[in-house]
Parts: sequence; structure tokens; C-alpha cells
Amino acid sequence: MKRVLLTLFVLVVLLAGTIGAERVLQQIERPDPLGRKLLYLPSPEILQLVSLGNSGLVADLFYLWSIQYYSKYQPHERFLYLDTVYDLITDLDPLYHDAYRVGALIIQLPTTDEEIHKKAVIRLFDKALRNMPSNHEIAEAAAWDMYIRYRDRIEALRYLKSAADIPGSPHRLKRFLTVWSEDGQEWSFENALSYWQEVRDEAETDYDRAVCEKQIYRLFASRDEELLNPMLQDWQARHGDCPDSWQILVDAGWLQEIPVDYFGRTYRILTEPCSAMAEDSVRFD
Amino acid sequence: MRAIRIIAANTFREALRDKVLYLFLGFAVLLLASSKIFGILTVGDQDKIIKDLGLAGIQFFLMLIAVMMSVILVSREIDSKTIYYILAKPVRRWQFLLGKYVGLMSTVLVNLLLMTVILVLFVWLYGGGFDPWLFLATGMIGVEMAVLVAFAILFSVLTKPILGSIFTLAVFVAGHLSQDLWLLTRHLPGSVGRTLVSVLYYLVPNLERFNFKTEVVHQLPIPAAAIGWALVYGLVFSGFVLVLACLRFERKDLQ
Repeated sequence: MKRVLLTLFVLVVLLAGTIGAERVLQQIERPDPLGRKLLYLPSPEILQLVSLGNSGLVADLFYLWSIQYYSKYQPHERFLYLDTVYDLITDLDPLYHDAYRVGALIIQLPTTDEEIHKKAVIRLFDKALRNMPSNHEIAEAAAWDMYIRYRDRIEALRYLKSAADIPGSPHRLKRFLTVWSEDGQEWSFENALSYWQEVRDEAETDYDRAVCEKQIYRLFASRDEELLNPMLQDWQARHGDCPDSWQILVDAGWLQEIPVDYFGRTYRILTEPCSAMAEDSVRFD
Repeated sequence: MRAIRIIAANTFREALRDKVLYLFLGFAVLLLASSKIFGILTVGDQDKIIKDLGLAGIQFFLMLIAVMMSVILVSREIDSKTIYYILAKPVRRWQFLLGKYVGLMSTVLVNLLLMTVILVLFVWLYGGGFDPWLFLATGMIGVEMAVLVAFAILFSVLTKPILGSIFTLAVFVAGHLSQDLWLLTRHLPGSVGRTLVSVLYYLVPNLERFNFKTEVVHQLPIPAAAIGWALVYGLVFSGFVLVLACLRFERKDLQ
């Protein structure tokens, strides 16, 4: 009996030891600035072989993994090898609509090295259009991303023209292509808002409606960032540092109230560079 | 014919007693759990992931049945000496083997049907609508399994049970990679090497011929000829392997 109790005691102590060690390990942050977990991604050719005819499922698993991976790391670590990862996913399943769309959305998030990221977004969208030439939704989304996120009228027009040329695409694309193509005609905030509200009202699925909401959200965020960023930089120039909170600006009389985004959430303040930042995630649920 | 039917029914009953049909319950639990988890993790259409996972799961579980059953298919009859009672009756050896094949295929097909119904229900529940094309993809998995089960039968009479399972699994893996053998023939320099690899390619079943998952998941057009010829290929290949198995079994010493 004594021996049994002693054995049980040892087992409990050992188990408690492993649980304790694991809990301590969970607390230790291990940054991955070099993206080591991404350095050894297998090639799509190898994955296709290993999947034994289930490359679509492997693409799904990488897609799910990528969403978790890039939402977990610190801002400076989370955008490493993004285009490589989404290239891999879309090599495994070249018709993976969501991977192109979500991949492009994530690549657009960084505020640094915009030109490099823009090229990656264009590469991904161009690949999507090569693989799915009859999909006007991707071309339309690309046009809007170029127009709103990167203010690149030429690329936006190229994508919108591709979308409008696809047989069976909605008539609104041709209508907006005409507006965009007019020299000197700027696409106003009101035009864009009415466009996305129209698309949202025509949407047949919750997912499509959520994508429209995301675009409307970005529209408001871009407009607000344009208004708020000069104010923050002005404050920094006068006071030497970036304000910690919007309340400081409200108290100083620079703002009437704390600015909130389309969903009523407070904008964040980044210190380097001193700027307003909208929440980088919009739930699609 | 009657002998084959009786042995097939008995093999099917044995499989039921071995709880093989419970695999479809495992599949249902896997699909339910993963759908819930992926629903939380994913962004976008969930039904695409459910279809991918479901079709891969069906293929995997059926392959497990083929591999596992090949261990016990004939060896159990020999070990328990029941094979002597069976062969003492007016039953030819090839009829015995064919009965085993039909019985195992019935087990596989009943599992396949149950799993397909579960998958179609899940896709429907998660907003993907009723997708009858899933029956085509799983039906072709069924044809793939007909070839694999024929190999399981062949290995069960050729070798020891454990080795039989390993060889059946090896055929499954090699069958999905055999397309690359064909590509290899284009890069080989000499005609001898090219001929040898070509012969090897034709001897290993190309299981990718039965893979219509991508087309079904993305609702792409499928040429009717591709389905028809895949059916012919699968049935002829299964027949070829079964004849080999019967020939070997005719001469096998059952002592």
C-alpha cells in the first residue's frame, strides 16, 4: 500500500512538474524576427506529391495556418514572406478565391515599404486573374484595393477594365469604368461610398456583404487618417512627442471628440511614425 | 455465382462484426469537429474547406479499410482452418477469392455511401447548398478503392499479413505518384531506360486518374470521356490484378 501511494505521489509530482514547466514556457516570448518558421516551407511541387492527390486540402491547411501565423506576431515580424506563403497556397490550389483575396488584404496592411508590398499585391492579383480569367470579383476587388489603398489610378483602371471586359460581369463595372476613365475626374468619397453600398445591397452571400463592409470601413478609415495624421504630426512637431491618447488632443481643444472608425472603435495612435491607425482586422462574421 | 455471393455476404458480415462500419462514425466526428474549428479559424467560404477535408477523409478512411482488411482477409481463414471446410464444398478457389473481393468491396461501398451522405449534409448545413457532384467525386474514390482492394486481395495471397498491408499502402502511395514516372520517361536519355520506366508506369495503377476532387470542389466542367475511361481503366485494372491473385491462389499451399 505504501509503495502504491509513493508511486502515485511520484507520478503526481512529475505530472505537476511538466504542467508547471509548460506554463512557464508559455509565458516566455520568443520573437521570430527572421521568420525562421517560414524559412523552411516546402515547395509546392513537394507538397503536391506528399498530399497524394489532396493538394486542395493542403492549401486549406496552409491558408488556415497563415491566418493564425500572421495574426499572432508583432507588427514588424508578421509580414515576413507574406507573398511567398500566399504564392505557395495558390500554387497548391490555383482556384482558391479566398486565398487571393485575403492574402492581398493582409499584404496591404503594412504601412512601411509600401511600394514593395504593392508589387506583391499586384503579383498576387495578376496570378488570380491568370488562373481565374472569368472571375470579375477578383478583378473588381483588385481595382478597389489599388484605388483606395495605394491611390494608383493606372493600376486601378487596368483591373477595373479587366473586370468590366469579363462576359457576364455586372453593368455597374462599365459605368464606374467610364467615371474613372474621364481625365481629371476624381473618385470622390461620396461616389465610392454609394458604389460599395450598392454592391453590398446586391450581395447574395454574407461573405460578399462582409467584404463590402470592409471596403466601406477602409473608405472611412482612409478619409479619417488623412484628416488625423497631419494633426498628429503637427502636435509632435510642437510638443516633441506623439500624444499617448486622443483625450490629450480633445483636452487641448484640437478635437471635439475622440475619433472612432466606421464600427465605432477608437483609432489607435502609432508612435513611429506618429499617425492614426485603424484596427487592422475586420471580422467576417 | 451462388458460392461467390455466399462468401461475399459472409465477408461483409464479418466486417460488420469487426466494427468496420464504425469508421463512418469516426468520419462524422472528424468532420463535425473540424468544421467547428475551421469555422473559427478561417476567413471566407467554409464549405470549400469542408469539401476538401471531407473528400480527403473519405479517401483516407476507405484506404484504411482496404489496408487493414488485407491483413485478415485470407490469413484468418487459414489460421482458423475454416478455409478447408469451405474448399471441401463445391467452391472453387477463384470463387472463394472473388467472394472475398466482393464482400470487402461491399463493406467499402457501404462506408462510402454513409460518409458521402454525411459530407453532403455537412456542406448543405454550412451554407454550400446541395451539391450532387460530390457523389461523382466519392464515386470515383470508390473506383480507386476497387483497384486498391484488388491489390489487397493479391497481397493477402502472395505474402504474410503485415507485409500485405505494407504493400497495399505502398501501392496507394505509388499510385498517386505514378504520374511522375510518366514524366520521367520524357527526361531519360536512352530508349532502354525509357521503355523500362514506361513498363513500370503501366504496371503501377495511376490512381490520380480517379481524382476529380478539384473539379468538384471548384465546380469545373469535367469531360464525360475522362469519367468513362477512368471507370474502364479502374475496372480493367482491378480485373487484371484479381486474375493474378486467383492464379496465385490456385497454386497456393494452404497447409
